[in-house]
Amino acid sequence: MVRTKRWTAVSALAATALLVAACGGAGDDGGSGGGQAGEPATTAGFDGTTIKLGVLSPLSGPVAVIGQPLTSGNKVWFDHINSQGGIAGKYRVELVQEDTQYKPDVTVQQYNKVKGDVVAFTQILGTAPTLAVLPLLQSDEMIAAPASLDAFWVREPNLLPIGAPYQIQSINAMDHYLSEGGGTTDSTICTMIQDDVYGEAGQEGIDFAAKEYGFEVANTQRFKVGTENYAGQIGALAGAGCEMVFLTATPTDAGKIWGTAAQAKFTPKWYAQSPSFVSALAKSAVAPYMRQYVTIAAEGTEWGDESVPGMKDMIDRVEQYAPNQEPDYYFAFGYNQARAMTALLEKAVELGDLSHAGLLRASEELGTVSFDGLTGDYTYGPADTRNPPRSTTLFSVDPSKPFGLATLKYDFTSEAAKKFEFQKADA
Amino acid sequence: MAGPHRNLVRGYADELRLFGTPLSRAGLVALVAVFLLLPTVLHDDFWLSVLIYVGITAIGAIGLNLLTGYCGQISLGHAFFIGAGAYVAARVGGDTGLPLPLWLLAAALIGAVLGGLIGPFALRLRGHYLAIVTLGLIFIGEHLWRNLTPVTGGNSGTSVRAEPAIGPLDFGDLTLFGESYSRNQGWFWLVWGLVALVALLAKNLVRTRPGRALQAVRDRDQAAEVIGVRAGRYKIGAFMLSSAIASAAGALFGSYQQFVSPDEWNLLLSIQYIAIVIVGGLGTVFGSVLGAIFVGALPAIIDRYSEVIPGVRTSVGGEGFISVFALNQALFGVLIVLFLVLEPRGLAGIWLRTKAYFKAWPFSY
Amino acid sequence: MTTFLQNCFAGLSLGSTYALVALGFVVIYKSTGVINFAQGGLLALGAYLGYTFSNNLAVAFAVAVLLCCLSAALVGATFERIVLRRMVGQPPFAVIMITIGLLFVLEPLITAVWGFEHKQVDNPWNIRTVEAFGLVFGVRDLWTIGLTAAVVLAFFLFFRFTSLGLAMRVTAFDPEAALAQGISARKVYATSWAIAAALAALAGILMAAGPGGLTPSIGFIALAAFPAMILGGMDSPAGAVLGGLIIGLAEAITRGYQDRLFSWAGDNVSVIVPYLLMIVILLIRPYGLLGTKEVRRI
Repeated sequence: MVRTKRWTAVSALAATALLVAACGGAGDDGGSGGGQAGEPATTAGFDGTTIKLGVLSPLSGPVAVIGQPLTSGNKVWFDHINSQGGIAGKYRVELVQEDTQYKPDVTVQQYNKVKGDVVAFTQILGTAPTLAVLPLLQSDEMIAAPASLDAFWVREPNLLPIGAPYQIQSINAMDHYLSEGGGTTDSTICTMIQDDVYGEAGQEGIDFAAKEYGFEVANTQRFKVGTENYAGQIGALAGAGCEMVFLTATPTDAGKIWGTAAQAKFTPKWYAQSPSFVSALAKSAVAPYMRQYVTIAAEGTEWGDESVPGMKDMIDRVEQYAPNQEPDYYFAFGYNQARAMTALLEKAVELGDLSHAGLLRASEELGTVSFDGLTGDYTYGPADTRNPPRSTTLFSVDPSKPFGLATLKYDFTSEAAKKFEFQKADA
Repeated sequence: MAGPHRNLVRGYADELRLFGTPLSRAGLVALVAVFLLLPTVLHDDFWLSVLIYVGITAIGAIGLNLLTGYCGQISLGHAFFIGAGAYVAARVGGDTGLPLPLWLLAAALIGAVLGGLIGPFALRLRGHYLAIVTLGLIFIGEHLWRNLTPVTGGNSGTSVRAEPAIGPLDFGDLTLFGESYSRNQGWFWLVWGLVALVALLAKNLVRTRPGRALQAVRDRDQAAEVIGVRAGRYKIGAFMLSSAIASAAGALFGSYQQFVSPDEWNLLLSIQYIAIVIVGGLGTVFGSVLGAIFVGALPAIIDRYSEVIPGVRTSVGGEGFISVFALNQALFGVLIVLFLVLEPRGLAGIWLRTKAYFKAWPFSY
Repeated sequence: MTTFLQNCFAGLSLGSTYALVALGFVVIYKSTGVINFAQGGLLALGAYLGYTFSNNLAVAFAVAVLLCCLSAALVGATFERIVLRRMVGQPPFAVIMITIGLLFVLEPLITAVWGFEHKQVDNPWNIRTVEAFGLVFGVRDLWTIGLTAAVVLAFFLFFRFTSLGLAMRVTAFDPEAALAQGISARKVYATSWAIAAALAALAGILMAAGPGGLTPSIGFIALAAFPAMILGGMDSPAGAVLGGLIIGLAEAITRGYQDRLFSWAGDNVSVIVPYLLMIVILLIRPYGLLGTKEVRRI
């Protein structure tokens, strides 16, 4: 009795095993057929009329304050493109937005969720989430545009970065301080960086500049995101007699840091990486201090500067498609990102292949893409020869401006920044 | 021919049988069938990757349940051990290219050693005090992960190239009977196979002498000592075992995700594990798995079907007042609250009640 | 010396914030035996309510502070009334999990109402400073220390001299004996939640009035207050205040001397100092500095 039961169980198992084999795997789905020049064939994410693009962004959680305007920037650009008929005048673009909460594991899940429905990803926000998805991008031959200015994106064939990386921003800021900001190589130059990848990118640029120009970083203060009291760091910087401090931070911390510095009457020349600033800071009580001592290193031009054609267009389109959008640095970033993706899609349509592999090929043939002065021109092509823009715009804080920033020095490139070499992530 | 009734228990050994009744044997066969067939039916990479993460979480949750549910020691430091395991996988599995069983074992071993370090605290502190000390582990761990750059890659994180391969059998690129299977299919079988293995080990442990000793310590450690259980030794043992399992889960997590960064092993992760064992049911192995499925898959389901839920904003600038994740999180919170108010014994409690109902059928009440 | 004193002042201000949050933990733990994980959520809620009163409704800042504490207290008491009352007698695990559930509900609610953007609370302190004895004192820091001292004093007077305070102490000591004496445990539980929520809201609005402004992640500070509570002893209000100040001072001083004394231990040692300190003290005194030793019976 017992024996027969056991046998039933075993044979049931065997039967299931056979079934498994019969049902088959999904390993070899085969690539989609790429058409030759002419109409691109339908493929994953493209049904012949509409191109779908993925967006993996933190739409909630603490980083949503970046993810939301960035995605809105993506959207406004594509709304504009769609009103012109779409990519190459005929293919409308639709965004598939997924919330990553800025977590690598959620990003991997969401990537898997939509990868079969999209032609490419026009935004993946965050260094860690992008690195988590990178191996999958490589095995799926997928193209994605990372929404962070890390230097190691430049050499990755599966990524389509824009803008001058953080390292370039800090090198150019240093150049400005030494040439026009009243500093010399003998000045006491310090850094204050956030203890993460973003902070280290800024520090790497400063260290490179130190070698190029021959100065020494006198003191470096690291801080953890969300620190409540900065008196210790500011005291240490003041104690070291810093005449210039380069800051990489995010707005909440930057506000506390400058507030503490103002209270301690510590008045060096501050240069800060672009993400340190948000327009609310220009309306805060720290604004007078910032106005006097802070310079922000970013790209493009001030919000609403109609003399730059790209800015004029963007303002018009914001009014048309997202009238409630506040002036925002990340919005412009998303807008530019969508622009780079549009250039890539147009190239792919020209080559007649919108499949994942087709886009990867198109990215190698993509030449220089211009952003009409919103960010520097980017020379794409094979990843080894890509040349990102190396220009930076410096801003001073001015509460009367829409975004609270006024152009100090527009779009300049230092010699040192030209020499900086980009490498792959060692990971 | 009237044989004994299926529920007849003739001795303690009968009580301890894992699959004693025909019904539970049938359930086992059904589970095995689902395990084998699911990935071939469900090709969708989204659901497969959700289920793989759920499986990995279930392994870690079984570890925590052994500690919290069976031995009564609260730990908020589970995420620390998960992280440690991921880094072991990166260094031992990735850099030296050892096969799967070896790096998994190495992770478990190092996890056990790290868990042993808590020993002195476990002996000296009780209840909530211990919980908050283990919370310190998370923050001290984060400091280590950020500063031990050669091991962890520092702030930028590290890629994990530990291959899920045993000899010719590579779960990342599986070929069986001439069929090739995708990475996610292979990983599903690997992870859920390991869930079954760990669950079986845990179940076997708790019905042996050490298992009963653990529960005695949980119920009242001084009474346990009086009857000859060395409470201190078992507390440390439970910590070592639980962190060994957590590290193994972390190693799998790293190897599947292929990249890990120090931001991931935070308090939220620990809280999620605690939520799993409590929602699943303290002191039940099966409950840990149910809890992991509930906590891991529910957000995915809400996310997948968010378009049809009214008032939810699925895109920036779209209609609705609350974003998918916000809704998800709020709903998760509400569910936890409702759950515990209505069924403090967790999902396993519901399961046991349902079982008891049918066991006594037709005389159920 | 000036640097040292300046760091001490920073530590006192930080420690006062910790003390307020830790006091909230202790009040709830003492009366109900539960660690309230939602304290950070209540803190953020209080800060945002304060923002609404101060900026949108444009009431005077002092009134806004009072109103935000009162409304947070109401939220705390309501939650206790609706949810936690049903959990009396359930295992503490389950109740802790419920407070985590509350945290998970509060966070998205706050962002759904107020959004993720950076906000600045209108307040009279901002970054104004006072100078004395060659030191610079931030006005907000002075107020934080002063208000904390006042609240702590009021707190002890309340427990010492009011009948409700006495009822709370009795209930914490022996709930059954308290019930037998006709003390309403319900009222005691609700009051302790209201007090804890009000303390959290006060800490929240004091933080939000600083130059960092207000973002949804403001509640994270509650995590740093855990060691403060443990260090002092979980059931000791005086311990919470002491623990908060010790932790705040230790953190600020380590921070100030990071370069000279602690660079060997990696960057940012000050972040983990509260936890290290807590661990060391617990190894010596397992129930914290002022906590009551648990009587263990078989």
